[in-house]
Amino acid sequence: MTLERNILLALGVLAALLPFAVTDQYVLHLAVMAIFYAILANSLNLVVGYVGEFSLGHTAFLGTGAYTAALLSVNAGWPMWAAVPAAGVVAALFGLAIGAITLRLQGPYFVIVTLSFAEVLRIVANNWIGLTNGPMGLAGVGQGGIADKTVFLAIVLGLAAVTFYLSYRFVYSNAGRAAVAVRENRYVAQSIGVNPFGTAMQAFVLGAFLAGLAGGFYAFYISFVGPEVFRFSFMATIIIMVLMGGKGTLLGPVVGAVIVTLLEEYLRELQELRLSLFGLIVMAIVLFLPNGLMGFVARRREQRGDAPSLSPAIEERTV
Amino acid sequence: MDLFLQFLTNGLVVGVFYALSALGLTLIFGLMRVVNFAHGEFYMLGGVVGWFATTYLGLDFFSGLVLVALAMGGFGWVVDRFLIERVRGQGEEPGILLTIGLSIFLVNITLLAIGPAPLKVTRAITEGPIFLGPVTITKMRLLAMAIGVTLIFGAHAIIHRTRLGSAMRATFQDPMAASLAGIRTKQVYAATFALGCTLSALSGMLLASIYSAQASVGGLVSLKSFVVVILGGMGSFPGAIAGGLLLGVAEALWGGYVATGMVDIIGFLLVILILVLRPQGLFSIRAERA
Repeated sequence: MTLERNILLALGVLAALLPFAVTDQYVLHLAVMAIFYAILANSLNLVVGYVGEFSLGHTAFLGTGAYTAALLSVNAGWPMWAAVPAAGVVAALFGLAIGAITLRLQGPYFVIVTLSFAEVLRIVANNWIGLTNGPMGLAGVGQGGIADKTVFLAIVLGLAAVTFYLSYRFVYSNAGRAAVAVRENRYVAQSIGVNPFGTAMQAFVLGAFLAGLAGGFYAFYISFVGPEVFRFSFMATIIIMVLMGGKGTLLGPVVGAVIVTLLEEYLRELQELRLSLFGLIVMAIVLFLPNGLMGFVARRREQRGDAPSLSPAIEERTV
Repeated sequence: MDLFLQFLTNGLVVGVFYALSALGLTLIFGLMRVVNFAHGEFYMLGGVVGWFATTYLGLDFFSGLVLVALAMGGFGWVVDRFLIERVRGQGEEPGILLTIGLSIFLVNITLLAIGPAPLKVTRAITEGPIFLGPVTITKMRLLAMAIGVTLIFGAHAIIHRTRLGSAMRATFQDPMAASLAGIRTKQVYAATFALGCTLSALSGMLLASIYSAQASVGGLVSLKSFVVVILGGMGSFPGAIAGGLLLGVAEALWGGYVATGMVDIIGFLLVILILVLRPQGLFSIRAERA
């Protein structure tokens, strides 16, 4: 727990020092995207890793956040510091509504119904031309504002700090421990007075809020939002990050986000083969690293008889 | 009224293929509990292999159909034995990620091999309309639908009349007891996966003979198959058929009377409604499995 916190802090300091070391805009862009994905993966991890329900509809919150920020900026001229928190709040409200319906279900039903919500929103965004401009999307978000990548890096780092502070406080609070108890054994948790629906709801809404923040930032950074923010391929990328890094740890999704972002960039050199290879890598990870990289690290540490595992959450979860 | 009948017919034709593809998924998802996101890619490969067989190998439509069934059945067997088997019994998540990886791989390898253009499967008979009272339907659609219905009955016969079918039903009721009774459950799982894969691929080839086969179609097909399986109830054979027909008709009516752009939304709305009001699915009877 303290080790995890310290590593996260060290990574944050490292990222903050990056603009002093490199001026290459491309490297800075990669850093911004990696941190953006880290926020997103972390927000999904709250649901997948701590509540233990597999949500495939997380893009619903990313997308509503992105569209909220874009609409506020394009139609009402809101600046970034106001639009991004508003995006988080709207996404949290969506989280409340969608969670109220979906968290009553478990297992494969939960998977499919969350996915259905994301698809419904995608189709609405694609067809409600009056509001969303349809497939053309909303262009020129935050026009005339910030242009420097260093500033964006500072902003996304600030968001990441907020995200990880909130997640850390949540995960190691009573609510977070209650969520883990529900994940491990729903009936035992209930018998000691944990309300499974309530705890799951807290994690779900917090996850939605953070994903909304990330979406709002994305809208301003890319300065364009189209219906593809709701797409399943986006969802697949986030899921891969969480599971590759190791769900149920705070550090895992960050590691996964950095690796996948870099992997997607460096595989570009292989051009058409890129995505096929990516698919193969994903399959290899499931087969050979079933608990993600953090699970692998934790097991190695245990084997050598070192300190107890990195986080109580990942011990012998599967099999 | 005539227009309504025409929409109904169109919906039923498409519904048969939804049902066929969902039948495959209800075996894999409903019974084996593998949340198979590569299902649409099996469907897509069916169309592509069908196109390859009829165009390059010069086979006629029916030989092509047989070839698709054999090739995709073998493919499903291999996928199960080499991939799915290794994550069996570990919950949904590894299976989801594994099949997402598989689907990314299959789509992009197919794109690499044949490109994104739509492909035509050579038709079995010449195109020509048949008039049934106020309703018009082309010969090819009628034939494809007839084959689809035959395949559905065939799958039913395999599950209920053969030794393999009894072994399947035993395995999904209680894998431990089944293996104690001497059933080689690994083979049964692989055979079920292969059957599911074949049904989806055949549906893909039949629809490709009416419309066209395309490498990128898989994602939507996967989602719609999930919709149908949930509508009908997990693992329910009649449920998959009823759910498929229901989705086909609902989409045709929605497209005809409301808005064509939003046709795909209807399935997802139905799923949300069903899961809120009746999570076990429309037709699921808990005792009835496959």
